[in-house]
Amino acid sequence: MMSTPPAHARADSASSASPVRIQVTGLDKVYPSPTGDVVAVEKVSFDVRQGEFVALLGPSGCGKSTILNMVAGLLARTGGDIRIDSDEVVLGTINRKVGYVFQRDTVFPWRTVEANIGYGLEIARVAKTERERKVREAIEKAGLAGFNKSFPRMLSGGMRQRVALMRTLIMEPEILLMDEPFGALDTHTKLEMHKTLLEIWERERQTVLFVTHDLGEALTLASRIILLSARPGRLKEDFEVPFPRPRDAVSLRETREFGELYTHIWHSLGEEFRRTKAE
Amino acid sequence: MKNDRASILFWQLAIFATALAIWEWGFPLSKAYLPRALVPSILDPYFISKPTSIWTSFLKLGCFADKAGFLSCFNENSNNLWIATVVTIKNMWWGFLWGTSLGVVAGLVLGRSQYLAKIFEPYVVAVNSIPRIALVPLIILMFGLGDMSKVVTAAIVVFFVVFFNTFEGTRSVDRDQIAAARLLGASELTVLRTVVIPSAMAWVFASLTPAVSFALIGVIVGEFIGAERGLGKLIIEAEARANASEMMVAIFVMMIVGIILAWVVRRVQAYLLRWQPQYDQHA
Repeated sequence: MMSTPPAHARADSASSASPVRIQVTGLDKVYPSPTGDVVAVEKVSFDVRQGEFVALLGPSGCGKSTILNMVAGLLARTGGDIRIDSDEVVLGTINRKVGYVFQRDTVFPWRTVEANIGYGLEIARVAKTERERKVREAIEKAGLAGFNKSFPRMLSGGMRQRVALMRTLIMEPEILLMDEPFGALDTHTKLEMHKTLLEIWERERQTVLFVTHDLGEALTLASRIILLSARPGRLKEDFEVPFPRPRDAVSLRETREFGELYTHIWHSLGEEFRRTKAE
Repeated sequence: MKNDRASILFWQLAIFATALAIWEWGFPLSKAYLPRALVPSILDPYFISKPTSIWTSFLKLGCFADKAGFLSCFNENSNNLWIATVVTIKNMWWGFLWGTSLGVVAGLVLGRSQYLAKIFEPYVVAVNSIPRIALVPLIILMFGLGDMSKVVTAAIVVFFVVFFNTFEGTRSVDRDQIAAARLLGASELTVLRTVVIPSAMAWVFASLTPAVSFALIGVIVGEFIGAERGLGKLIIEAEARANASEMMVAIFVMMIVGIILAWVVRRVQAYLLRWQPQYDQHA
């Protein structure tokens, strides 16, 4: 199951002494259907340690978002165990340490950019002056300066996703769950978002579990990649991404090491894509 | 662009003037010069009045033509044009307010609770199948000839329009937006206040323009069937005297009231829904 890509130093791994923040053990998800049960996720186990950026990578429909939603407590699991900081995840119970970013546009269209970003602080009754200061900082960080009072309809898809990202990050989650947050964006906008996310993460080092089907994205951002097989989702490979930090989202893609690792994983992933298509 | 607007305004005024002229002089002229078969008798001013008579009736009903002076005419006639208009608008406003408030609350509650929605569904369907107008005599029996029966009629008519829209709006709130709010720490009540209600607002407002018209219809029908005052009462009294001009005065006043109220609703809507794409300020 485990295979380490050749000729790369482990430059970016979290120390094995770091505490485990997310622990998934023997996770199963079965969707009952009149034509027989559909197994979406089968016996998946992995750990995410403090300060790791883990990408959950796999072909469409392999159950990676399903796994993430079960970790977030948004979806019931059929079997297995999920723990965050050794506490079992209970369906429908919101963990304040956890932030979640959706793939779909979920900014509130009736709130301005600053009211969207400040939403969580507002309902947590954070004092107005502190809220305003934090919102200002977040807007600065996300490169949204000048759009404070704009409504989302005036923004591009990329800018709206920046708002969604900051709306989550302003709550200072220790653990960040991201469900293909840039999946709906065009290539160029996606790269811009990678830059922003890298900047923030390399400074703040949240523990991240990031779902994607984009290999380049996983290699650019993550410190570790968990590769899932086509349905039913099973753990296929689990390896470190050795590129040093800070990373540059654009120039990293031009290095030889990136190309080699990309090709190596592409072969594993390619198999899965062929299997999905053959069905 | 400017030319366009000028020419549009020109044609609008031209059509208005022509229509008034035909209304005023068309019937006697065609009767004099055209074969009888081509002149439908319902176009007789006896039935449809004519602009100058309507104006005269307006002055009379509005207490402008009375030799004793405006005040004495106003005091003498308890259902003069002004009192009738104010009473109709007042009843309509209260009916609109009650109907809208109850409709929004019921729509939100049933829209948020699948369980309650299932329980109440047959009752809603049954009551909604009754033509509201059929209830008016009953309502007058219950609440009397005074203003209350008109308020209740308008409220019932408005309630269903607003209820169904709020219900649909509440059900179509984006589930991911609700999940996002919950993940940011919102309680069920906060989700209702900060996500469900603002999101359903667009649907509620879509129902308010027709609701205003329905409120006016509700009040007028109530006044037709039994009332002491109001514009509907004015029309019924004029009908008893076969006075088309006075009916026309009341109809025009209603038209103006309707235009103004629709405009007000549109302005409020444009402000509260300014986050929606169709309300781009400078587009």
